Amino acid sequence: MDETAVVAGETENAAGADWNPVERVILERRSVRKYKDRQVPENVVRRILEAGRFAPSAGNAQPWKFIVIRDRAMLDEMERDVVRLCKVFKFFLDWRTSPLGRSVTWLMAQVFIRIKRNQLHPIPFGAITLIAEGKLRAFHGAPTLILLLEDRRGVSRPQVDVGCCGENIVLAAQSMGLGTCWVGFVELLKYGLKWRKRLGIEFPYRICEGICLGYPVGNPQGMIEREVMDVDWYEDGAMRKVRQGEDDVTV
Amino acid sequence: MSQFSFLERLSVPTYDNDEYATTGRLFIDHERCNGCGVCSQICPGKAISIRGEGKAKKAYLDEDFPQCMSCNDCAAICERDALKVVVAYDFGLYYKKLNRGAFAPPRRY
Repeated sequence: MDETAVVAGETENAAGADWNPVERVILERRSVRKYKDRQVPENVVRRILEAGRFAPSAGNAQPWKFIVIRDRAMLDEMERDVVRLCKVFKFFLDWRTSPLGRSVTWLMAQVFIRIKRNQLHPIPFGAITLIAEGKLRAFHGAPTLILLLEDRRGVSRPQVDVGCCGENIVLAAQSMGLGTCWVGFVELLKYGLKWRKRLGIEFPYRICEGICLGYPVGNPQGMIEREVMDVDWYEDGAMRKVRQGEDDVTV
Repeated sequence: MSQFSFLERLSVPTYDNDEYATTGRLFIDHERCNGCGVCSQICPGKAISIRGEGKAKKAYLDEDFPQCMSCNDCAAICERDALKVVVAYDFGLYYKKLNRGAFAPPRRY
């Protein structure tokens, strides 16, 4: 890069400057949970996957594999199976509604939550109930589903690499006017043999995440408010607390 | 100094107990809301319901344990800026939140 370009970059990044297009895509992206029936053109999906292919990964291992599902009947069947599995989970773990009785279920939930602390956080726990009751659709009626598989032989933390790859996919889709939503519930499909066989998933691959893709109904995108976060800032031999998103408190 | 006590690290909250669970809370401006129901359709926790008839048709946050995860998707889709999240969800004990504050929009630093 020549020197003039560097200087131009500095003026663009002056304090209080307007958002650049990439920032705008990042800040305006919202998860979309209502899709039009219209299918996404094939070339657009291919273009989005290309963004995923060029994601950074540890040791350039690229520990991912994509499965694109655009078959309506197949998506419906997957959704049915997710709902069925959610019903099983709800039957054994949701002590508020389980016919097994509150005390037995509560005890079981307490054990299982300790085994799977992240998967059974209160938020997905509530979502399991909603999906089982049919109030929430697992894939939100999206016309295209991208399954992200993780190569378990990847360098250090392949799941993080899959996350990077997925974020590239999601942001590229947003920049093309598409809506996306991460669906972690596809993970349930790895518990049964059926879908692993049908999709040909075997070692070293494992289902990691899913991304719904489609044209959003209405305009769900926009900047919103988010929680302010604490940042510890070490500089010039001292540490200060910075509130990211708020005025700094001067002592 | 640990931010969790030993007991808190071991204890999992009982989700439907108010003592350990603060769900997200919305502020809904009923002057602006026209009860179109888009927010209730896209809410991932199905925490918003539309009640009332005619002019009195408005959005309400469920009173009995709303599963609001304070994602603010409703605020993004609402064309009339009628609602936004004012309290973030927070569960107690092992799942309690750390180092987070009030809500603020993106800021140009």
